[in-house]
Amino acid sequence: MSKRLIDGNDFTNMVNRGADCLQRHAEHVNALNVFPVPDGDTGTNMNLTMTAGRQELLSKPSASIARASEVLSKGLLMGARGNSGVILSQLFRGFARGSASLEQMNSVQFADALQHGVNLAYKAVVKPVEGTILTVAKEAARHAIQSARRVRDVTELMREVHAKAKEALDRTPELLPVLKQVGVVDSGGQGLVYIYEGFVAALEDAPDAGPASYTAAPSAPTVRVPGGPAAAASLGQATAQSRLETGAIEFLYDMEFFINRQLGGGAGRRFDETAFKAALAKDGDSIVVIADDEIIKVHVHSRKPGDVLNLALPYGELSDIHILNMRDQHRELLHDGTVFIEGAPDDSTAMPSIAPDEQHLAEALPELLSGAPAASEPPAVVHELAPYGIIAVAIGEGISDIFLDNNVDVVLSGGQSMNPSTEDFVQAMEALPAEHIYLLPNNGNIILTAQQAAELSERRVTVIPTKTIPQGLAALLAFKDHESPERNASFMQQAAEQVQSGQVTRAVRDSVIDGLQIREGDCIGIREKQIVVAHQELLEACKSLLDQMIGEGGELVTVLSGEEADPAVTAQLTAWIEESHPEVELEVHSGGQPLYPYLFAVE
Amino acid sequence: MSATIRIVADSTADIPQELREELGIVMVPLKVHFGQDVYLDAVTITTDEFYAKLEASSQLPTTSQPSPNDFIEVYNGILEETPDAQILSFHLSSEMSGTYQSAVLAESLIEKEADITVIDSKSASFGFGMRVVEAARMARAGKSKEEILERVAWLRDNMRLYFLVDTLEYLQKGGRIGKASALIGSILNIKPILTVDKEGFVASVDKVRGQRKAMQRIVDLLREDFKDEPVGVMMAYSKHQGAATELYELARSHFNVQQVDYTTIGSVIGTHVGPGTAAIFMFRV
Repeated sequence: MSKRLIDGNDFTNMVNRGADCLQRHAEHVNALNVFPVPDGDTGTNMNLTMTAGRQELLSKPSASIARASEVLSKGLLMGARGNSGVILSQLFRGFARGSASLEQMNSVQFADALQHGVNLAYKAVVKPVEGTILTVAKEAARHAIQSARRVRDVTELMREVHAKAKEALDRTPELLPVLKQVGVVDSGGQGLVYIYEGFVAALEDAPDAGPASYTAAPSAPTVRVPGGPAAAASLGQATAQSRLETGAIEFLYDMEFFINRQLGGGAGRRFDETAFKAALAKDGDSIVVIADDEIIKVHVHSRKPGDVLNLALPYGELSDIHILNMRDQHRELLHDGTVFIEGAPDDSTAMPSIAPDEQHLAEALPELLSGAPAASEPPAVVHELAPYGIIAVAIGEGISDIFLDNNVDVVLSGGQSMNPSTEDFVQAMEALPAEHIYLLPNNGNIILTAQQAAELSERRVTVIPTKTIPQGLAALLAFKDHESPERNASFMQQAAEQVQSGQVTRAVRDSVIDGLQIREGDCIGIREKQIVVAHQELLEACKSLLDQMIGEGGELVTVLSGEEADPAVTAQLTAWIEESHPEVELEVHSGGQPLYPYLFAVE
Repeated sequence: MSATIRIVADSTADIPQELREELGIVMVPLKVHFGQDVYLDAVTITTDEFYAKLEASSQLPTTSQPSPNDFIEVYNGILEETPDAQILSFHLSSEMSGTYQSAVLAESLIEKEADITVIDSKSASFGFGMRVVEAARMARAGKSKEEILERVAWLRDNMRLYFLVDTLEYLQKGGRIGKASALIGSILNIKPILTVDKEGFVASVDKVRGQRKAMQRIVDLLREDFKDEPVGVMMAYSKHQGAATELYELARSHFNVQQVDYTTIGSVIGTHVGPGTAAIFMFRV
């Protein structure tokens, strides 16, 4: 439907649909990975990022677009994983700045906000690469600015933005040769196009004008996000909870369920979303209905859960039905001791009488998020700060042990197959009582997240942009506790550059890259960022990769065997290195990393 | 003719026996304890015997400083022979051992009028052994105490020592790891580049992975100080000479070496660094 103005509720619907659309296609986005390695994760990263943003937005809905986009931005920022996740978060952070102070926005303002997003995202990346999500966002925004002069309907403008984004996406292989070689479009760009697709769908389905499609209840819990009913609590909510009397919760049953339109007596029956919502609103609030051809997701707070289910039944079979009594939840929350005093009701006898500080709030947060009962911990003791602390990202028990053995305080689990979020970094830093914190991301796709976390942290933080585990180890050994952070950063960076990194994994699909014919199941050897060998035999792939690495000169070879390493191959490989490269020293350690049978460092 | 100058050093100077005897250096031994058995360093136990025992013993040996009385006997012995002797007494870094304290106490307890200078070398092994040898040579050549002390101070500032241990275990267990301890992990084969710093503590100036890279790093560090100047080199090793030879062979090609010699690390220092240690002492000549 045409819309000359969009507000916070429209925006929330857009984000909801955008996130859904991305979620449905996350696997497809993963599959666009340039390398045929088993850990293509752009889709996963963007989806998790977007989910975090949506979760935040739905927990604090607002009819003001400035407020809603600000809340989204916060959620995305903290949830950002991987480079595309960080860029996505910056796009919407810019959007939020562009919409500052606006209750509603017209097409020109919308276009302007998109452009703000692009500007900020380009700033966030040290060396912006064209042919990526950045290009897609940029061209879409540029087109929006031009079009907005004549197109007053935001829905129409969004359609054009989406079309333009799609067009730019299709051209990414022309801009980034490696995409063309492999025959894919950019994965991050594709993710953004899916989000825009959801935006269009939300605007097209939205009512013409008038009041919001659902009643926003500021600072009250609303939607349960994927992950179950318990997952949506947030700090803001907890604060609001404490100011609320249990008995004041009028619509006390928090319901979430899905209607499967293909099944049951009502299969195929036409669904009128507006009428359905209106019916729910008679005795409920915090209504969110997300519909597509197959599934309708319903969230509502109601006094009469039976009536709600009866309303839904004519449209199909119901599944994943969650009904929670929010008064119970509220009583529990008050009891936990994680709640805050202001306007506390009388029945909260177990509440602590000390106002929690920032630190305490931060500690309470993860427990609320995970839905685990928060223990009534004593107020955080202020420890004396250590002069420095080091946080490294690694996966595999052996590799983690090596980092911890070498002066690392915290190993954040993650790496090739799972990237930590900005929030993971922020929380790890909050929990580390050190004046100056060094971050070793140890993966090219985690560096931006670490840098984003560093900016958000109130500590002094230095990110050493290590791209691989070997680089991280080399940087770590160059650390000197008595040196200034500036000098240490320079030493560590230099040390990281001195080491060659190699990794061996199995191809997940056929591919041709840099003239190398790769068949699914082949063992592929990656040297720095390039696939340099593909061979059916693991041992042969390792030998060939190591020959090339040692050929560049090196005195020390480190082999980190992974979960999928074969002890017989490790033994053969060790014997081969000793025989054919007697000039190097060799160290073999069990790294325990998944997916990559071997990691090599040559230095 | 000036007064006779006599040179005293404790056994941790690791001066080869023939050289010590040739130059008339009086040696005061520290003690090594294997369980109940006590040995006098380089007197009742030779270096070879020590490392053989170290290998056979399930228990790590410990060491102890000479008593003040040991020093009093030595000083008195010299003064009886040469009543007008000026004594220069050089000792292991006071940050590592109570030997210096013991000597200072002994000096204060000597009843006769005597000119005894007790020197805290703030170093170990040939790091001060070299100064002792130079002092003894100068004394033979009739130089004055002042000339000798000035020269010795110059030598101290113009000598660098680095050493590599096979394992940090001995430094850790003996409690002599000084400032080198905190940052060194045990899973990777990390080689700290060790030295004795100006204050006389064992310190780690850098750490690298692998023996060969460690040797290269030592050469790089020494190049910063000596470049192409003419230098003398003393290599020291415990039990095995292999690593010391390898280190010297690497160093030789990078420096203008005028003289080189090898010595063994005695049982007291050996107790604290363990077998397989290689040390290089380089100095301007």
